[in-house]
Amino acid sequence: MDTKTCQEVVAEVIRKDLCTLCGGCIGLCPYFIAHNGRILLRDICDLHQGRCSTFCPRISLDLEETNRAIFGVPYSWDGVGTNKAIFMARSTNVNITARAQDAGTVTSLLCFAKDEGIIDSAVMTLFEDKSFPKGVVVSSREEILACAGSSYMATPVVEVLNRGAQEADRKRIGFVGTPCQVLALTKMRASRLEERNPIGKLELVIGLFCTWALSHPSFTQFLEREIPDPIVKYDIPPHPANVLHVYTEKKRMDIPLDKILPFVRPACWVCHDLTAEFADISVGSGRGKVSDWNTVIVRSSKGMEVVARAEKKGLIETREIPKENLSRLERASYNKKKRAFKNVVQKTGSVEDLLYFKVQTEIVHRLLAE
Amino acid sequence: MRQEWKDPLNLIITGVGGQGNILISRLIGEAMLEDGYWVTIGETYGASQRGGSVASHVRVSKNTQQGPLTPEGQADVILGLEPVESLRMLVTYGNSKTHVITNIRPIHPMAVAIGEAEYPSLEMIKQGIGELSHQALYLDASEIAIGLGSPLLANMVMAGALIGSGLIPLEGERFEHHLQTSFHKDKLALNLRAFRMGINEIRKPVEVDPKKV
Amino acid sequence: MSDIAVNAPKTSQLLMGNEAIARGALEAGVGVATAYPGNPSSEIIGTLAQVAKELEICVEWSINEKVALEVAAAASFANIRALSAMKQNGLNVALDFLANLNLTGVSRGLVLVVCDDPGGISSTNEQDSRHVAKVLDLPLLEPATFQEAKDMTKWAFELSEEIANICLIRSVTRISHARGNVVLGELPLRENHARFDTSRKPYASIATATPPAFHQRLHRDLSRIREIYEESPFNWYVGPQDPELLIITCGSGWLYSKEAVEILSRQESVGILKIGTTWPLPKAFISRHMLRTKKILVIEEIDAFLETNLKELSVDLAPGRSLTFYGKASGHLNPFGEINPDIVIHAIADIVKVNYVSKEVDYQKKCQRMIEENIFRRELQFCAGCPHRTTFWAIKDALKMDGRDGFVVGDIGCYSMALGSTGFSQIRTVHAMGSGIGIASGLGKLNSFGFDQPVLAVCGDSTFFHAAIPALIDAIHSQSDFLLVVLDNAGTAMTGFQPHPGIDMSATGDASLPIDIEKLCHALGVAVVVTDAYDIKGTTQKFMDLLRIEGKPRVLISRRECNLIRARREKPLYKVQVNPEKCIGEACGCEKFCIRVFKCPGLIWDKNTKKAKIDEAVCSGCGVCVEICSQEAIVRE
Repeated sequence: MDTKTCQEVVAEVIRKDLCTLCGGCIGLCPYFIAHNGRILLRDICDLHQGRCSTFCPRISLDLEETNRAIFGVPYSWDGVGTNKAIFMARSTNVNITARAQDAGTVTSLLCFAKDEGIIDSAVMTLFEDKSFPKGVVVSSREEILACAGSSYMATPVVEVLNRGAQEADRKRIGFVGTPCQVLALTKMRASRLEERNPIGKLELVIGLFCTWALSHPSFTQFLEREIPDPIVKYDIPPHPANVLHVYTEKKRMDIPLDKILPFVRPACWVCHDLTAEFADISVGSGRGKVSDWNTVIVRSSKGMEVVARAEKKGLIETREIPKENLSRLERASYNKKKRAFKNVVQKTGSVEDLLYFKVQTEIVHRLLAE
Repeated sequence: MRQEWKDPLNLIITGVGGQGNILISRLIGEAMLEDGYWVTIGETYGASQRGGSVASHVRVSKNTQQGPLTPEGQADVILGLEPVESLRMLVTYGNSKTHVITNIRPIHPMAVAIGEAEYPSLEMIKQGIGELSHQALYLDASEIAIGLGSPLLANMVMAGALIGSGLIPLEGERFEHHLQTSFHKDKLALNLRAFRMGINEIRKPVEVDPKKV
Repeated sequence: MSDIAVNAPKTSQLLMGNEAIARGALEAGVGVATAYPGNPSSEIIGTLAQVAKELEICVEWSINEKVALEVAAAASFANIRALSAMKQNGLNVALDFLANLNLTGVSRGLVLVVCDDPGGISSTNEQDSRHVAKVLDLPLLEPATFQEAKDMTKWAFELSEEIANICLIRSVTRISHARGNVVLGELPLRENHARFDTSRKPYASIATATPPAFHQRLHRDLSRIREIYEESPFNWYVGPQDPELLIITCGSGWLYSKEAVEILSRQESVGILKIGTTWPLPKAFISRHMLRTKKILVIEEIDAFLETNLKELSVDLAPGRSLTFYGKASGHLNPFGEINPDIVIHAIADIVKVNYVSKEVDYQKKCQRMIEENIFRRELQFCAGCPHRTTFWAIKDALKMDGRDGFVVGDIGCYSMALGSTGFSQIRTVHAMGSGIGIASGLGKLNSFGFDQPVLAVCGDSTFFHAAIPALIDAIHSQSDFLLVVLDNAGTAMTGFQPHPGIDMSATGDASLPIDIEKLCHALGVAVVVTDAYDIKGTTQKFMDLLRIEGKPRVLISRRECNLIRARREKPLYKVQVNPEKCIGEACGCEKFCIRVFKCPGLIWDKNTKKAKIDEAVCSGCGVCVEICSQEAIVRE
């Protein structure tokens, strides 16, 4: 018999350094709070069945079962997850591209969805003072624009969805987030919980490609020591650059990645998902010849509809993804899975104990062997 | 004193802090002193303001001053302002000859108030009290008190029930006379009413429907 | 009700032991009475304060017990009879002065009443104060009845003047707080003339000689006292000439012993020697009785004080005589905690070999079952509307968010209950008055050993004045790193809302100059912030900000009047209600948060509707729970 409360189960995730700080357990109740880059158990809850452990992406993840539940097809270990189309896209609006991290696709799609009434609000990450990001729920174009730009830091954004979904005047919510955050939403959907499930109001999920995320406040404190001026943008150029570009108003500084890597959250090293495999639309940076485009993976019919309509309206333009870009992406996606399971088995010491993953042993062996 | 009164007569008045059992134990004790008795009242303090049990041991004798605590199994009458408190006194100080008069309105402890424990049903309490006493009388003093305007008057209702029952050698007149000198005239009328209603009530004990509690 | 000022000799009243002591002091013509509130002694000065104006005497709640005794001694030096009262911990505070006063002596009668709390029912410790009398070679009296409480107190002033030294009276909870018949004596005419005799030798044990000389004088006085005690009406014997068992008892033991012998029907074979003059022992009187028996049972609480002294005495009796002592050493009585009539009955029954059963076996079995099935304990908790609850809530959240494993060291007051769940189990230590600040100051100096946990000390406003100021000054001077939280609820709440120097009123209800804690902190040069205890968000933020400051002491005054004091004066601030449509009760997202975690007794669980609701009989109307509910289901208007 399971004698642990659901809060204790989540607490174990945190204790084992598996917590991604997605925020899925926050904003549902008074018992968890997120503060200063940590999830805290504020008071003790007695329940054995609860949303926190149901929504947590680091508890009991069966990729096979989840994929079938969401997409109706088996999970693919090769490739970049179930999809209907993969291509390059970029915004046609110069105001957007000026502010954007890459090519402004996400911003354009959201503005479109808002204008068309597909969504009335969006949950995004605001990286305002450029020293630490926070989740926000926005409803105007200006606010959506203000959220452009990647922080590379983990933020409990799902908390904002959990809270926002409780507001009566928000009925159709869009979400932009990292793979772990998207996984929390996927667990919400797969749970089939009807009462007080934020998924009920979720209309569109856009996932961002992610290799890892940095810890706040340790990373911000480190940066402050290195770069006293305010920061306006971060960027990680592709291999083999091996640096983090940090832009202040005046100049760009390059910090070697091996100085940054110590600030990666431990939970990221056991994450398998590069491309947010359960989102409606997944978006990342283009590389090489197409570095001024976004890579876009559309996975659901809803995603297809939004992209098609936005393109028809001329808000984005698309093109084919070059073959070498696709194969590089597929390889990178596979490598992340390998890295994840290698780290998992190293942590547990056994192929039988895969922490939160429920995966057939043969698959793990295959990943470890190659 | 009539020959048949036990000496010492041990009366325990019990309840929860804030119910005012200390007040009525004093009023009863002082009235009996005026009647020529040696009266000793032992009390418990400290937890009284903050939700704890409070019991007054009122020990009366024609012969000599008694000690402040009743020895186990020596209580003659238990007057309870709260049902579980009545039972609590009975299991320590009661015997098969003890008489009990108790209010039936519960005051829930924290554990029950937060839904983590069950308050025993009135049936269970009555059964328990019945097994451990010679005679038990029940009344909803709180209901009567609320009808008079304040639940705090339940203590005076119970005082009336006690004196009306004839279980202690104190006449209603003597007690009322003492009330005259103890209460401000603003408060006297209401307290007298509560007292008299208690006397009336005990002379017709009402069987309370346990489902209502 | 009691009237201790009435001039009606030979009438009877039902007085509490403490009221009887107060009356005894009045009958002795006391002029000055001082104390610091402490259970079970508070009513002595509390009662005298109520009649002080009418009888034109000086009564004060002093800042602490040492000052209280000094103020009383001063009156005695200046020809006015004086009395000071305190609990056992108060005696500890006053001890430095007392241990000098016994050597210097006094002039007019000075009586110190110490009320012990056997069992520590409302104390942090348990302590038998009688030992102090022996250590300091001072006369000690113990009242065994309510009449005696009055008569002894009156006589103690005479004894004090006979030996020109302070006289101790020791009472316990069961005498101080119980009520019994007291026949009143006469009230004397008020004397007027206070004057300090500057021509007599100084009150100093280092004046004309060194302390040992004064110590020697004390011993000579003890002999004189012993002689006086031999004839004292406070010692008596009841029972057969040659008892099979002699009970020697004092204080609360007398009434218990008397009743025990009656219940066992052993009046023919068991005698009771009741001692009221417990130190020094009247040797001749006691020896006479001890020689008439072979078995002695000593009944007393708390320690084996009388028992050990009797054993000392018995060594000098006729040698070769066999005498068996029973009591605490033999295991017949508990050498800790309170005694009660049943313990005494069983002790006697065991010695005289009688089988005593308090209840029939069947009855006892039924009782046991009842206890297991039905009878719950009642927990101590903060009252509805208590500002301590909200302050500790803010502390709990702030420490969690701060994340450095910070903690709270506690002190004495209602807030000591934050050791338990009513205060979210925040407090980690509790000792004596003001100890919290001393300990925090100590912790705050361990930086060089790698100590990096934030430390908070909590103390009440009354405790602040009583004992915290010297420790705070020490902390400021040595730049100790901690946060002092003064829980300012405008009174000495735990003991009955007595005023203290921070309040603008005195013991007798006169207006007086209040000392402002915030201004005092400014004058001391320590950073001080004030917060409203009911403002949870604001207070939590202030805590977090203050915890971040390091390297020096800081003070946060969390201010909000004790709800019980406020409720006597005003109607509730708000009418509070739970909206059952918004309340989600046990469901995920709440799980009875307001009831189970915040734990205000005004919030209860309705198991029929499965929602929280306000218990109108208990709710104080403070409205703070509105901020606690995550569903905004609680409303106030």
